[in-house]
Amino acid sequence: MITLGSYLALSGIIFSIGLVGVTTSRNVIKVLLSLELLLAASNLSFVAFSKFNGDYSGQLIVFFVILVAAAEVAIGLAIIVLMYRHLSTIQADELRTMKW
Amino acid sequence: MSPFFFYLFATILILACLAVVFARNPLYNVLALVVAIFSLSCLFVLLEAFFVGMILLLVYAGAVLIFFLFVVMCLNLNATPLSSAQQNRFQWLGGIVGLMFASSLCLATKSFIKAQTMEASSIQGTIEAIGKILFTDYLLPFELTSLLLLIAIFGIVSLAQGALSTGKNMENS
Repeated sequence: MITLGSYLALSGIIFSIGLVGVTTSRNVIKVLLSLELLLAASNLSFVAFSKFNGDYSGQLIVFFVILVAAAEVAIGLAIIVLMYRHLSTIQADELRTMKW
Repeated sequence: MSPFFFYLFATILILACLAVVFARNPLYNVLALVVAIFSLSCLFVLLEAFFVGMILLLVYAGAVLIFFLFVVMCLNLNATPLSSAQQNRFQWLGGIVGLMFASSLCLATKSFIKAQTMEASSIQGTIEAIGKILFTDYLLPFELTSLLLLIAIFGIVSLAQGALSTGKNMENS
């Protein structure tokens, strides 16, 4: 039987995998991809609660989250390209100074 | 709502998420995220959130992840592989953090496991239903989102201009 709890458990599993990716990976692109996983997990629980409560607000919040994530990814990738031009690497360890 | 499709898409989703985090090649990370987003939108369709699932496919798998692919291919990342010793130093710590977080989430969602099924409410997230609410109750946040996207465009253009000018300086010096 599929209940609200199964969707929430799936969302929690995905969030945990994404959290491991954010904390362990040194590649900056991988960190951004894992952030997308975190957003996807929260989106899933929003839609599940929206279906469970019979309220459309959860699906609207997912709509806004997708738009904000698109802006975030665009700026993050621009910063990564700049970082690669200056340091010619995208390892997060190399970001030691705030001045180029 | 058939349980078979839920378990099918949930399995694909979890496997794709593991590939996103643990695959070595950055190209495979991005392609695994495409698979994960696709199965996530299938789960949204199972929850009868048709509009949001469609937007997720179009915006995420169609635009954002292709943008990721462009950047990964432009940077030519395979030329600089990680040394494995450097990569594995703190990985066990991240694994412990993830396991602790997963167990606390399981404790938090345990009260919902016995909850009633989803059939209690029958709402359908069609374009008509979502659009009615989006243009009445949520009109101000919707307009503010367009402002946010405009600011993001300004930020990207200024970043790219800075990159161009520093590149010219490097060529001159």
